[in-house]
Amino acid sequence: MAAYGDFAEIPAKQWERQFEFTDRAVVRRRFRAGEIICREGDYGSTAFYVVRGKVDIFLSSPIAHAKSRKSDAQSRGIFGLIRRFATGLVSANQDQREEEQRRHWIPIDAPIDLAYDNPVGQLGPGDLFGEMTCMSFYPRSATVRAAEDCELLEMLRNVLEVVKKAKSFKAKIEANYRQRALATHLRSVREFAELPDEFIDYLRPRVELLTYEPGAAICNQGDAADSLYLVRIGFVQVSQRHPGGDLVLAYLSRGQYFGEMGLIAGGVRTATCRALDHVEVVRINKEDFDVMVQRFPGVRAKLQVEAERRAAATRLQTETAAQIPLDRFLEQGLMNAQNVLLIDLEKCTRCDECVHACGAAHGGITRLLRDGLRYDKFLVTTSCRQCTDPLCMIGCPVGSIRRRESLEVIIEDWCIGCEKCAKQCPYGNITIHNFDVAELSRVYEGQKVIELADTAQDGSKRAVVKKATTCDLCSGLAEPSCVYACPHDAAIRVHPQEFFSGQLP
Amino acid sequence: VIIDRSHWRWMIATLALTAIASISYAVYAARWPDGPGGGTIPGMIYGLLGSGLMLFAGLLSARKRVPTWRLGRAQTWLKGHIWLGILSVPLILFHSSFRWGGRLEQVLWWVFALIVLSGLFGLALQQFLPRLMLKLVSMETIYEQIPHVCLAIRGSADEVVAVVCGPLGVEEPSADAEEKGKKKTKASQPMEGSGPLKDFYVRQVRPFLDSNYSVTAPLASATHASAMFEQVRIMLPQPLHQPLDQLAVFCEERRQLALQSRLHGWLHGWLMIHIPLSCVLGVLGTAHAVLALWY
Repeated sequence: MAAYGDFAEIPAKQWERQFEFTDRAVVRRRFRAGEIICREGDYGSTAFYVVRGKVDIFLSSPIAHAKSRKSDAQSRGIFGLIRRFATGLVSANQDQREEEQRRHWIPIDAPIDLAYDNPVGQLGPGDLFGEMTCMSFYPRSATVRAAEDCELLEMLRNVLEVVKKAKSFKAKIEANYRQRALATHLRSVREFAELPDEFIDYLRPRVELLTYEPGAAICNQGDAADSLYLVRIGFVQVSQRHPGGDLVLAYLSRGQYFGEMGLIAGGVRTATCRALDHVEVVRINKEDFDVMVQRFPGVRAKLQVEAERRAAATRLQTETAAQIPLDRFLEQGLMNAQNVLLIDLEKCTRCDECVHACGAAHGGITRLLRDGLRYDKFLVTTSCRQCTDPLCMIGCPVGSIRRRESLEVIIEDWCIGCEKCAKQCPYGNITIHNFDVAELSRVYEGQKVIELADTAQDGSKRAVVKKATTCDLCSGLAEPSCVYACPHDAAIRVHPQEFFSGQLP
Repeated sequence: VIIDRSHWRWMIATLALTAIASISYAVYAARWPDGPGGGTIPGMIYGLLGSGLMLFAGLLSARKRVPTWRLGRAQTWLKGHIWLGILSVPLILFHSSFRWGGRLEQVLWWVFALIVLSGLFGLALQQFLPRLMLKLVSMETIYEQIPHVCLAIRGSADEVVAVVCGPLGVEEPSADAEEKGKKKTKASQPMEGSGPLKDFYVRQVRPFLDSNYSVTAPLASATHASAMFEQVRIMLPQPLHQPLDQLAVFCEERRQLALQSRLHGWLHGWLMIHIPLSCVLGVLGTAHAVLALWY
């Protein structure tokens, strides 16, 4: 290791300690041009450091989301009443969803972000990727392929921790970030998209790159607001103190920011922000923030709008939390839920028509199971509750799961089907849908996607693509299929707090 | 489906239509020159109406096969199935002028009667069985999952006992169990005085926790089970009481799952008569109509 200049300053004794238990804590790997180094969605525990050569980093999953709709082939029914539903993949251009955020950049576990329209990038000597996978065991966020014959160091967490502590290496990584990634990272945030190169050059040496261990407080509610933070790696939990305990307001991942509310109001922190895992943030101090908002009134206006939106969402959640109800109501997560499918067990004959209907409306894959916890005479089924504390969002390696204004969970087009959100959901309410697509043979030439390879018409081999799906309430239909198909009037979709208001103190 | 206020309109409409059909039949029976019969025009109209209603009732099954087609809410279809099905009874009676007819017609009568009775029986069960299941089976699971849940319970019980009694020495259909996610039991050194617990578990509890246990098993009765557990408790030292209590909980879970299976059987078993006979009625009814029109 000492032979690699970047790690020369690390004492030999420190390396010996790392290799005490395994001499394969770091391995040198050589790849020929075209060889896959790691695939998106795969679980791993290592990070890669590019020593020599170049690698392409890209998303091979189609940039599309799952949508259930009436099949074109079956749409000519009697007065349009007879409709057969199929679930397919559609892009944001084909299906602009309500409040759709057209992100221009997709966050990945690398020093660069990928463009939404052309999700391919290139890394070269000195670049480190796979840090989140290595530190927090998240799925790989992108596929990496050798663009030319190359040499990489693949390292376990203990080695990564050592090299990241080395001053010269840390300085190099930070310099790389400032030089190559800061601009796209800042511009990937809608509010900062209009910042000119000249101002980013001004910020480049001034921003601080900070690291936090899991559980560490980045800022505390009530502290003086002195900076804006942009999440670079990891997940940050935003919570507020209340008499009944902490209320989680949001989870932020790469490409999101916090701290602007206190700065704009010129006051104190309104929430506590804590690192959920290994977190790295970019800190812009108050003086630079003030210069930015003074020079760019457009940025200020956008930040103001966002701050007001966040304040309104916080008020809504705080009001909801103020009605602390029955213990069981809380235990079952109903306090959090916005919309649940209840089954009246005094009426239900356990015929599973609701489950069959859900499957029929979603390409044969049901998004609900007639199982779950009971509250009173109702079964709270395994179907998305649109929680106000959406744990499913923690760990998405590409930040493709988010909430609408209505708090409903939405899966963005760049979901890579790694199943992390499905595993995170405490209620098992996210399902993974397999789609048969034409074999994924995207061709990249000069870092540009030139073909999306839909060659299945000639009967060529097909591939399976996974996408996370959640209850969409059968949007586009007057009533969710599960409710419509229940012959016993037992299945109902309700807002639990309103529905059970009579039973709550 | 629970017969509640939402059924009143259907009930009133059925009663009103039955009354109208009865009055019209009385008039027709009194005034028709050769007396009422299935071959007369009014008789054929009753037959057509009755058959139409039966056909509609039968379409519920087809409707369920296309749950996403917006052909009306399933509960409206079920209400129609129940009440129009009931309305078909007087219409068919008026069609036949209360006569048995030939052999084919007699078979038709029996089939029709069994369909109506099984349907009413199922409807009656639906009024209280779901409520009973809610009350008695707090550990209810998805019916099809019961064998898997039993296997999981038995796996957990094996683990509890093996920790205090050492290896159980029971044969496992291991490949199958592994496939179903059963964990490997971790055995340790047997605790002093654990012999009775192991013996009780291997002879009584473990077979009972199987997905196919004997219905005459003593543990199938909560009262017997309680007595048996008390007997074993006396023989065990204090530290082994907790694993014994855990086994009692597993047995209670198994009893609940068995009860769920039984109640589920009752709740859906009548369909085994109702649906096949409805198909038979369709075939025989068509034959009856063709023969009657031909001859």
